[in-house]
Amino acid sequence: MSLKLKALLKSPWVFHLSTGSCNNCDIEILDCLTPRFDIERFGILLAGSIKHADVLLTTGSCNRQSVVRLKRLYEQVPKPCLVAAIGECALSRGMFIHSYNCPVPLDRIIPVDVYIPGCPPKPEAMIAGIVKLIEKVKAGQKRKKK
Amino acid sequence: MTREDILNDLSVRFKDDIIDVFDKSPKRVYVEIKPESIVKLVSYIFKDLGARFNIATGVDTRQHMEILYHFIIEDINLLVSLRVKLPKSKLEIDSLVSVFEAANWIEREIHEMLGINFNGHPDLRRLFLSDEWPEGVHPLRCDYKEWDKKAIRDRGV
Repeated sequence: MSLKLKALLKSPWVFHLSTGSCNNCDIEILDCLTPRFDIERFGILLAGSIKHADVLLTTGSCNRQSVVRLKRLYEQVPKPCLVAAIGECALSRGMFIHSYNCPVPLDRIIPVDVYIPGCPPKPEAMIAGIVKLIEKVKAGQKRKKK
Repeated sequence: MTREDILNDLSVRFKDDIIDVFDKSPKRVYVEIKPESIVKLVSYIFKDLGARFNIATGVDTRQHMEILYHFIIEDINLLVSLRVKLPKSKLEIDSLVSVFEAANWIEREIHEMLGINFNGHPDLRRLFLSDEWPEGVHPLRCDYKEWDKKAIRDRGV
């Protein structure tokens, strides 16, 4: 495993991006960070700038205005970068699937590594999702070595 | 002024402009008016009666395009909704920006979503729709058809 990836998995810094969600998923993400769940004890830290982030937490159904911003942000993330889609809207646009303003789902715009379903997903689900993401990357690295 | 005074006053003062008054509940009354007299009526309600402008809503019904201007008279807790019915062949109405500035953005929104022209609006640009959106397509109209050939409408399962 490269040093870069090892450091990333040890302490993934997350950047929180809302592409037009109803704020419920965002509230749950904030819940993860506050003392009750306190994911900082696992080394997961909310990064203020996209240029410091390793994991992009995306919520909301991407609408026409935010798709442009999303692409611009994804270009700025230092690679390797992992993307987590949080909530039903980010997975399949949920009830907004036939909306005039939401033409494409998130995973057709940028590659998504982990899907966390729910409306909104519980903080436990989000933590489990991030843990699975870390395990997935580790397993992928091991397979590469063989 | 009580509720009855205001309603009587309106119907006497503007008897040529008001088409219909629908008394829905003690807190709410709908007044249907002619489109050309909107500025006159709104200036009276806003400036002389001291009502507060809540919001305007645009509705695409089967026969007409409707705009409802919601005003609240706070002293007597009465919500007055001025209803304007525009024929679909001539979607034009006078802008209210000259009376109060708060009408600016909601008129821009109604303009892009329903395609109603507001005469005398100072700046009728787009508010919410993106730049790639084609001209002359209004998403909240009944006859809206999807124009984007690249849009994906299945859940992928």
